[in-house]
Amino acid sequence: MRVPMSWLREYVEVPVTTAELAQRLVISSCEVDGIERRGVADVDGNLGLFRVGRVLDAAKHPNADRLQLCHVDVGEGDARQIVCGAWNFGAGATVAVALPGAVLPNGLQLDRRKVRGETSDGIILAEDEVDLGTDHTGIMVLENGIEPGTPLADVLPLTDEILELETEHNRPDLLAVYGIAREVAALYDVELAPPPGSDPPSDGDERVDVRVDDLDGCPRYVGRLFRDVAIGVSPLWLKARLLGAGMRPISNVVDVTNYVMLALGNPLHAFDFATLAGGAVVVRRAHEGERLRTLDGVDRALEPYDLMIADAERSVALAGIMGGEETEIGESTTAVLLEAANFEPYTVFRTSERLRLRTEGSTRWEKGVDPHVAEQAAKLATELIVQLAGASWTGATDVQGQLPERPLVRFRHERASGVAGFQIGAGEQDERLRRLGFELDGETVAVPTWRARDVTREIDVVEEVVRFRLDDVPPRLPERREMFGRLSKLQRVRRTIQDTLVGFGYFEAYTWSLLPEDAEPQAVRLEEPLSSEQAVLRTSLLDGLVASALRNVDAGNEDVALFELAHVYLPTGAQLPDEHWHAGGIVQGGFLSAKGAVEGLYEALSLRVAFEPAEDLPHGARGARTPEGWVLALREPQLGGEWGAFELDVDALAVRAPDVVVYEDVITYPPVRQDLAFVVDESVAAGDLVAAAADAAGDELREMRAFDVYRGEQIGAGRKSIAFAVTFQSREKTLTDEEAAELRHRIVERLREAFGAELRA
Amino acid sequence: MAKRSVTVAAVDVEALEREAQGAVAAASTRAALDDARVRYLGRKSELKQALRGVRDRESGMALNAVRERLEAAFDARDAELERAALTRLDESLDVTLPGTPLRRGRLHPLTRIIRQIEDIFLGLGYEIVDSREVETVWHNFDALNQPLTHPSRSHRDTFYIDDQTLLRAHTSTGQIRVMESRKPPIYIASLGRVYRRDTPSPRSTPNFHQVEALAVDRHITLADLKGTLLHFFHEMFGGDRDVRMRTSFFPFTEPSVEFDVTCFLCGGEGCVFCKHTGWFEMGGAGVVDPAVFENVGIDPNEWTGFAWGLGIDRIAAQRHAIPDIRMFWENDLRVLRQF
Repeated sequence: MRVPMSWLREYVEVPVTTAELAQRLVISSCEVDGIERRGVADVDGNLGLFRVGRVLDAAKHPNADRLQLCHVDVGEGDARQIVCGAWNFGAGATVAVALPGAVLPNGLQLDRRKVRGETSDGIILAEDEVDLGTDHTGIMVLENGIEPGTPLADVLPLTDEILELETEHNRPDLLAVYGIAREVAALYDVELAPPPGSDPPSDGDERVDVRVDDLDGCPRYVGRLFRDVAIGVSPLWLKARLLGAGMRPISNVVDVTNYVMLALGNPLHAFDFATLAGGAVVVRRAHEGERLRTLDGVDRALEPYDLMIADAERSVALAGIMGGEETEIGESTTAVLLEAANFEPYTVFRTSERLRLRTEGSTRWEKGVDPHVAEQAAKLATELIVQLAGASWTGATDVQGQLPERPLVRFRHERASGVAGFQIGAGEQDERLRRLGFELDGETVAVPTWRARDVTREIDVVEEVVRFRLDDVPPRLPERREMFGRLSKLQRVRRTIQDTLVGFGYFEAYTWSLLPEDAEPQAVRLEEPLSSEQAVLRTSLLDGLVASALRNVDAGNEDVALFELAHVYLPTGAQLPDEHWHAGGIVQGGFLSAKGAVEGLYEALSLRVAFEPAEDLPHGARGARTPEGWVLALREPQLGGEWGAFELDVDALAVRAPDVVVYEDVITYPPVRQDLAFVVDESVAAGDLVAAAADAAGDELREMRAFDVYRGEQIGAGRKSIAFAVTFQSREKTLTDEEAAELRHRIVERLREAFGAELRA
Repeated sequence: MAKRSVTVAAVDVEALEREAQGAVAAASTRAALDDARVRYLGRKSELKQALRGVRDRESGMALNAVRERLEAAFDARDAELERAALTRLDESLDVTLPGTPLRRGRLHPLTRIIRQIEDIFLGLGYEIVDSREVETVWHNFDALNQPLTHPSRSHRDTFYIDDQTLLRAHTSTGQIRVMESRKPPIYIASLGRVYRRDTPSPRSTPNFHQVEALAVDRHITLADLKGTLLHFFHEMFGGDRDVRMRTSFFPFTEPSVEFDVTCFLCGGEGCVFCKHTGWFEMGGAGVVDPAVFENVGIDPNEWTGFAWGLGIDRIAAQRHAIPDIRMFWENDLRVLRQF
């Protein structure tokens, strides 16, 4: 909402500078995006160089057919000679003059100069040159009787400041200059002028045929009929206000509808009455298959829930959103039906949302406009149409459903102070509420109709008082009696995983939750993705990590090791997927590098882990599963070289991770360490040897870890030698050499029987 | 009394000890020390011979005492010479060479700031709550009192899975989940990913992170909210920050405010960064709306609360002077290595 300060001052006295007002409004009422200075700059006496002039004589320029040479009295005694390109005036006209030295709004500084050999001592102004309009077909001809030399700023709104406001969804009343004026009145405890607009005498008693079939969608329809309408351009003051508020002037009647919307917040529409079949207005939902060509030239298919303004035969406007092309006001219009209605927010929202059509009107309706304002809006529009278009007001109607009452709310002063956390005086509270239009009667507050949607409870009234004192709220901390803060076990496990992987040299990555496609066909899909790149909720972190790894390889980064800790979304068939925290990693350096990280993670969580070779891993890769996830050898052509990747379900890890580590005595009875190497067929896995050895030796085999695999001539083709570091240790006694030898013997025998393994000397 | 030499078993032990101690001190190599040790403590040394010839207990004790002292002196000098020899080996060390590189990864800058935020809340006695990202329309909008016409419900702003399911648009969903499942007092902070239909740009991404704090207790006021914000931002940005509240509208709080922090760049003087206001916009807050309490079965006459939230990515970008917020999602090691 753009609010010209000159307009605001018509409704309320502003006792501070515009900048100071902005600072206060920001706290109490709405955001202020900025203050724009419009029109002629009021600096260094510039404004004084713009004067009212009277044309003494005007004749064709001796050297140019398209130019006039004039002498203009600007109140200085001697007249000034001015060359002018416009022909819409002659001797005797009162005009606006800018003298040499004047700086125009576009930044151009005038000087005295020769035009085709004749001196021009200033210019006669057209409206677009001082931001008062968009017309440049002629100069501004002012009404006669103004003394030459009068400062132009006394006659025209030459300079103005515009408050650029961003208002909240609950305050449609602030999408109006008058609504902002009400805030100013409450802020500074100053008088607010009565709302603008009063009905002129009526010129007839014609029937206005309005039928509302859907009073839920349209609780009120004020229709007014005008005859003998002269469509033309609006006066300068009106154009200036519209331009200042950010709307383009079009024609007097259309400009009036926009002006009233900006002044009071109630969007209006004007129909060319002659184009309404049967001279009737029917407010109804759209018929099946109905279409409408709107003002913007788009032919639109309608849905049965769309609220329409129709005539006796067909729809003529999308209610509250946009008029139709066929009933638009044009130059030849002589009879106008003015609509000052009220539309239900959701109806308008739903249609404008579907059609992707947001207008000045729809943005107001969808926030909920006060149905009581429609009448005041009709009055102001009637007054202006009669005044500006020379129209006769010949008929009126006001169709109403059940209009909402003013809510009565119980309100206690101490509740406001209680919410604020400091004392706000009862007198101040009452005064503030009165200025905002609330009526007080003991503990009962009657809410003004324009706030009836938003203020229905005591707490809402409290806000109306407190918002003006937000700067004064003292900082305190809650007094606590219960509750204390801690991380959950899952959260602690997550931090451990992150810190462990960082310690292993991994860099943490963040990748998108949404993928172009997921390996899981049932993965959760967006109804309407932003792009095909982000369409499906991932069930694994791998693809995101591969993409990040690829980006690093392309950038020439070496030793890439990335991990991510994030949600995956596992389809359940029910409304909501299962969301699990996963930890995924990708590392340059192959399977064993990734497996080392996984082993390290389990160790960091004090968890034992077994790896089972698996065939069903992502990318069809070779690798192994643990109870909580997998690790695999990644062969991505684009990445090049050997990579490893892993992914673990962190929720599952957190469930299994012990809360407390229990000490195990590994000191009292010393271990016996030996290296054993076995020659086996290529097909035998080291893990199988370890499992068999553990079974054979029992609990006293504390550890058996493969540390070397050797292939060579001495071993023979198709065979390999695996060397293990073996640790024997008893919990009850010191193992004797004989006992250790016996354990070793059992292992050697078992591996020979089961795998044909030969012990290497 | 004149000092006289002490002669034990025909040996001048004092002179002998003095001489031996002198030899210990004079030995500059371990070999020279070994020679001296043989000379004064060896089998054929004067001391050993004298010990062998001792006949009375008193002489034996005196001589043994000398022997023990000398042995200790030799051992001490030996250790000293050994350490000196090792130190000499280090003389070729070039201490200006770089240290052996150790692989060290990094936490993502977003994680670092998320942990900092979590730790501030833990210090304030809040629990950290994880909450789901795929949500029902009820938890994301309805329970939070969001009107049907609020633009955030639009399919242009929010990612929908179907009519009833969506990707949460804010962490306020965490409030609802917690209040549905337990009774006050509640002091929680909910952090995590949220989703909005913003085309990726230097200033916005369709995934980003928020933190939402909720306090529900008896007699919570705007003053408690302001004090909590002030404490939070002092911890976050330093003790010279100020906080202000501006009126705003959120369907789930009443009164609603937005809060600003003194501009990072100009400290409140006004600059281009803060659009000459001296303030930097941080997030939204307010007193929990009674309708929200009713939606989750908490009695609004008994309990009051405040809630506030803010976007994390934007703060992280500002703090680290990262020009484009999308860099957080690119995971380029050249960037990550800097944190």
